Parts: sequence; C-alpha cells; structure tokens
Amino acid sequence: MNPADLLAPPSPLGFPAPYWFMAFFKVLGFSLHAVPMNLWYAGILLAMLLWWSGEHGRTWSTRLMNRMPVIIAFGVNFGIVPLLFVQTAYYRVFYPATILMAWFWLSVIGLLTLAYYGVYLYVIALRAGNVSRFHRAVGWISALFFIGIGFVFANGLSLMNNVAGWPEIWRNTSISGAALGTALNIGDRTLWPRWLMMFGLALTTVAAYTAFETAYSGHREGEGYVRWAGSFALKLCAVGVVWYGITALWYMLGTWPHQTLEAMFAMPRVPLTVLTGAGPVLVLLLLWLQRRGATRRVALATGFAQFGVVGLNAISRQLVQNLELAPYLNLMDEPVHTQWSSLIPFLVFFLVGVGVLVWMVMQAVAVNRREATAPSPGPTTG
Amino acid sequence: MHYPFWYVPFLTSPMLIAIIAILHVLVSHYAVGGGFFLAVETQHAYRTRNEAYLQYLRQHAWFFVLITVVYGAITGVGIWWTIGLASPLATETLIHTFVFGWAMEYVVFVLEIASAYIFLYYWGRLDQRTHVAIGWIYAISAWISLVIITCITAFMLNPGAWVRNHAFWSGMLNPQAVPQILARTGGSFLLASLYVYLHASFKVPISDLRSYIGARSARPALLGAVLVTLGGIGWLVMLPDSSRAALMTASVLNVLTVLIFAMTVAVFAMLYLGPYRNPGWVSPGFAILVLGAGMAATTTGEYLREAVRKPYIIYNVVFSNQILPAEVPHLRTVGYLNGGVWTRAYLAIRPEIPRGPVGSALATSMPAPANDREARGAAVFQYHCASCHATTIGYSPVGQLLRGWTPRMIRDVASQPEKVHFFMPPFAGTPEDSEDLALYLMRMRLPHPKGMYYGGPDLRSARLLR
Repeated sequence: MNPADLLAPPSPLGFPAPYWFMAFFKVLGFSLHAVPMNLWYAGILLAMLLWWSGEHGRTWSTRLMNRMPVIIAFGVNFGIVPLLFVQTAYYRVFYPATILMAWFWLSVIGLLTLAYYGVYLYVIALRAGNVSRFHRAVGWISALFFIGIGFVFANGLSLMNNVAGWPEIWRNTSISGAALGTALNIGDRTLWPRWLMMFGLALTTVAAYTAFETAYSGHREGEGYVRWAGSFALKLCAVGVVWYGITALWYMLGTWPHQTLEAMFAMPRVPLTVLTGAGPVLVLLLLWLQRRGATRRVALATGFAQFGVVGLNAISRQLVQNLELAPYLNLMDEPVHTQWSSLIPFLVFFLVGVGVLVWMVMQAVAVNRREATAPSPGPTTG
Repeated sequence: MHYPFWYVPFLTSPMLIAIIAILHVLVSHYAVGGGFFLAVETQHAYRTRNEAYLQYLRQHAWFFVLITVVYGAITGVGIWWTIGLASPLATETLIHTFVFGWAMEYVVFVLEIASAYIFLYYWGRLDQRTHVAIGWIYAISAWISLVIITCITAFMLNPGAWVRNHAFWSGMLNPQAVPQILARTGGSFLLASLYVYLHASFKVPISDLRSYIGARSARPALLGAVLVTLGGIGWLVMLPDSSRAALMTASVLNVLTVLIFAMTVAVFAMLYLGPYRNPGWVSPGFAILVLGAGMAATTTGEYLREAVRKPYIIYNVVFSNQILPAEVPHLRTVGYLNGGVWTRAYLAIRPEIPRGPVGSALATSMPAPANDREARGAAVFQYHCASCHATTIGYSPVGQLLRGWTPRMIRDVASQPEKVHFFMPPFAGTPEDSEDLALYLMRMRLPHPKGMYYGGPDLRSARLLR
C-alpha cells in the first residue's frame, strides 16, 4: 500500500498562523530546550563518573548536580514550545507516529518523574553532605533514565519522518486495525545515528557549560580547580566533536536518501550544512584558548557559540525533516487562517513575560554580585 | 479512523487521560492556591516580624517547589501527552483553535518556574519587598495559567458561539468559563490550605505556631469552599441539556453528585469546627482526613466533568469516538471502514494477529473473530466503540453490558446507539457495517447470569434460565 494513504486529511480549521511563524518558534523552542536537555543527557552520567575521579572531578560533579534541578525544570519547560508547534504544524505525522509507539511514548512521563525525583534525592543528600551508596545508585538510575528518554524521543521523532515504515510497523503491532502501541522505530537506520549524534552534541554542550560556569563562579573553588576545569572542558569537547563528527557522517552518508543529500549539499543549504557540521570545532577552539583557565569574555563567547551550534543543528534538522516528509506532506498546501485576535495578545504576553523574567533575573544577579564581592567563606563543596 | 486508534485492553485509552488528569489536578490546584498562600503569608510574616512563621514558610516553600515544579509540571505535560495518544482528532482541533492560548499559558508557566525558584533559593538574600513581589509574580502567573487552561477545558463542555464563528475569543469566553474559573480558583484556595495543614502537622511540633498556621489558613479555605459551591451551581446552570440529562440518568453519576456534595459539606464542616474555631485541632490525623476528603471531592468533580460530556469530547464538535459530526452523513454513504484513513488501510491489509509475545498477549484480551464479517465488525468495534468500552472485562465492557441480549436488541444498539442511549454517538456507517458490528458484538456477548429467579411456582424455575 502507499504509505501516503495513511496520512489524515488536513484539519478543516487550517493553520492558525503561517507555517514560517510556527517553524520559527518550533526551532527556537527546540534550541532553547536542547541546551539544558544536553546538560542532563550527558551531564548526569559524567557527574556520576567523575565522582570517583579525584578532588576536582568531585567538585565539578557536585557543582553540576547542585544546579541540575533548576536545569531540568527549565529544560522540560522549554520543551513545551516545540511540542506545541510540532503538534500544530506536523500533526498529521506526529499523532500516528506516537500512537504506534504509544506505551513507550507514554513511558516518558513516568521515567521523567522518577529521574527528576532521583536527581532531587541525590542533590538533597549532596547538600547534606551524606551521599551514600544508595544515593549514588539513584543518581546512576536517573542518568540511565534520561538516556532512555532520549532513545524514546529519537524513536518518536524519527518515526514521524519514516512514513514509509508505518504500514509494516502497524501490520505487526495492531489488532483488528487498532494499534497496540508497542512498536519502536528500531528498523529505521536513521534512528541510531540520530540518537548517538545528540549524545555527541551533548558532550560539547557540557564542555561549553563547564567553561562558562567556571569563568563566572568557579573561582571560589580555587585556581587549581579553574585550571582543571579548563583542561577538562577541552578534552570533553574534543571527545564530543569526534563523536558528533563520526555519527553525523554516519547519519548523512549512511542514511540520507540521495535527494536529501543532494539538497543539503547544494545552494542555498550547503553553507548551513557545513556550519552545522563544523560548528563544534569553533567551540573546541574557544575552549583551547581557555585550557589553562577560563576568562569571562571568552567563556561568554563559548556559550554563545555553543548555542549557535545547537541552533544550527535545530535548523538543519528542520530542513531535513521537511525534505524527508516532502513526498507525503506539503505543508504549504494547508489552508492558513491566521488568528490575529489571539496572536497579538500572545506577542504582548511574550514581551511582558520577557520583561518580567528579565527583571526577576536581574534581582537574582544583583544578589549574586553583592554576595561575590563580600568576603569569601572559602571553597564550597555543595 | 483518521488516526490509528490506540487499543488499551481492559482500561480503554481515554481512561488513561482521566487517571493522569486527576493525578495532575490534585497538585495543580495546590500550585495555584499555594502560590497565593506563600505570597500573602510571607508578606504578613515580614510585616509582623514573625521569625518563627517565616522559618515555617521557608520550609513550606521547599515542599511546595518539590511537589508542584516536579510532579505538577510533569503530570501537566503528561495530560497533553495522553490526549494526543488517546484522542488525536480532539487534540488536533483544540490545538488548531487555541494554540496561542497555550502559548500565552506557556509564557506565564516560564514565569511560574523562574519565580518559584528565585522565591525559594533567594530567601533571606533578596530584600523583603522584592522577595514578596516575586511571590506575587508567581501567584498571579499561576492564576492566569489556571484561567487559560480552564477556559479551554470549559470549551470542551460547552463551546458556545464558537461552533458558529470559530473565533478564538468566542471559544475562550464560553458559557462554562466563568463558573469553572470560580470553582477552580476556590478549589485552589481550599486544597492549598489542606496541603498546608498536612505539611504543618508533620513539620511543626504541637505549639502556638501550629495553631497560628491552622487559623491563618482557615479563612482562605472557607472562602475556597464557598467559591467551589458558587462555581458548581454556575456549572450546573450552564450545562448543555444532554449533560444535565446524563447527570440525571446514569446511576453512577447520581451517586457521584451526592458524594461530591457530601464531601464538600464534610470538608467545610471540618474546616469550620477545626482550624477556624479550634486551630489546635491541626494534627496529622486531622490533616490526612481533611485532605483525603478534599481530594475525594476534587477527584469526583473531575470525573463528573469528564463523564457528562458524552457522547462528545468537544460538545457538538468532536464525538468521543474521534468522528466529526459533519462526517456522519458521508460515512453512512461510503461505509465506516471505507471512510477513514486507517480503517480503509485495514480493509486493504487485514492484519489480524500481532507479532511478538507482547503483541500476542495483548491480543488475547479481544475475542477472536470467527469469520470475515466478524473480523470487519471487530475493526468497527475498535474504531467506533472501544474509546468508551472494553471488550469483556474492564471499563464499561460490552460483553458484560450485553449479557443475555437477543440478536435483535444487539442489532438495534449497533445500528442506532444514540436512540438506545442518548449519551452514545450515532452509528456512522452503512447497514452492512452495523450488521458486521452486531455479529462481532454477539461474539463478545456473555450469557445471562445463571440462577436468577423471575417468579413462577418455586425457585426451581430459575434453572430454566441456565
């Protein structure tokens, strides 16, 4: 059967805004989500590993885990934006893909709750200074759950694009035409490089975060720690770049159809493709400059560069997704009934919200600055 | 039928929405009311220089963040996750109608998270005025979030003028919006106080401070109970006729209506006699009892709110079995299975037995069709009926409901379900489709229970019914 026959008819309500508007917020939201998501995806695992790696490793682990509850809160929060707009623009592929793997998709909620509370349990013990074997086990379980959640996401998002694979998956996991929700997209060769590529990117994000965080608040741990953190960030980023490079090549050359490859390596997309692939090298160079200790200005540039890398990755993913779906889904064909009466209030809400957020953050930053200039109580251990 | 139907044995997939929604609202109301509690009480404690109370409030803020920011936020996302899986067409409709409503809600959600963490982690570090201001930013953001989400859920029960004009604000300002906002705001104040009692009863030793906490939280709780009652009356008045009729007809809903009334009165009485008149009553036992009663009332309310919408998910817009009312005449012409994307694919492929041990195990919960017509009937059952009915065991199982029914009765309910029960959607297929469905229903039908005595000379006649 023709897989295109499995696509639902377009919504009679039409798109509530032009496609570009939704795609912009989807990509922006994903980029904002990806930074904290990268930090828990690879960061918790590294924090567990580095607990045993000596004094500075343990300090790094403690500092990262201390901030993890807030990082997760914002990461989950930012993930809502792409989820909202993917359901608005790509609903015809999103719903079938997630329903075919419904039990795994639903498991994300349970795994996330457990992993998140696991992190809290670990951090509470960390702050009380009594991390036991039990707490370390909980930390490891959280790390593995987050990696598992990443695998489920890689399945869901790759299955969205793998319309050609739907009939076979549905045939094997349905009863009287109804999906059992027990499928995974493991037959799709794009799944593994996509999942692993994100882990490579996550390693570079953790490296950039380390430089940034050390430059801005790591000095209170002493010069030794600052030097160690600079060197660690560089090595971690190097591993991440190699990992990202290998998996990206595998993804592009090993799984992209000829048309996608041709489109992504032709004008006007080729500069984006090259930058997406080479971006992490810029971060690596910036970290090399800070290998003996971060400076705030370069660390800030590193942070921006890594956000740029993540953003470029999100844009490229969006373009590849559209190319993969092009045989089945023409988003430009959907009728558009722009909801000005709600879009304008949203933009007003957005601006006011950003203003209030900035004011609150400024209050917190002012407190931090005031406390930083006060006499230091000595190195912190969390 | 436009999307694959997710078959969940025993429970039915929409019941997963109900479970996650109830688990969420028990905390989300606290997330709103608790925000007001912290803002008002912290301001009060600063003004009265009550250090002991401030110390308690700080402890409570930690408990609050741990419960609401983690569990509350994730289960909120969980509802969205589940509605997309169990009711994709309704979700598609809601998202295309209210995407910017949700986007606005998202903005205040970011403010909630940021202000909650700053309020907690900068306690004693920010000046008092700024600290209180951030508490109020949280409380107001959380309440705006409640208002937006309530408008959307109220829309599902009565979309009002939206059905005619498809205008965003007609949908948001629907007839059910104000009553439900009142009820949920009241529920937030009420539940927040009950959580405070629970927390204080375990964390604060028996003392004047515990009594003080009990007394301070009694007034908002009583105000909350009044708002819940007013909102509940408004909800009842603004119900569509079919929902009010469902409330009167279904015996389980009769019982639940009485239960919610009884629980609300019980909570009100406990609050009045307890913390309001005798603040010293706030003990762990009392707190668990009153919070349990409050949760029971909230759970019952949520269940009722969902149940009375039948046969719609969105009143007059989407049926509970993922069909748009406007599609029914077309489906009655071309046939139900032929009219849907995935049902048409089923006719082309006819997969019967799922592969793998898990798939095979899940498949055993569904009686195997004996022939081709029953197989078609089974597919009609999955897509047309299984949103609300399990097969032979579970939630509202068809096999049990049809115990002892004659073929004619089954054919009647298969061809005209809306005439048999007004809270069922109409049959959206050809007579041949309904006959296929009837044949499969007969396969699922269980026999009349044995040993029932219907009169006659003596009990031995009961054997005739075996």
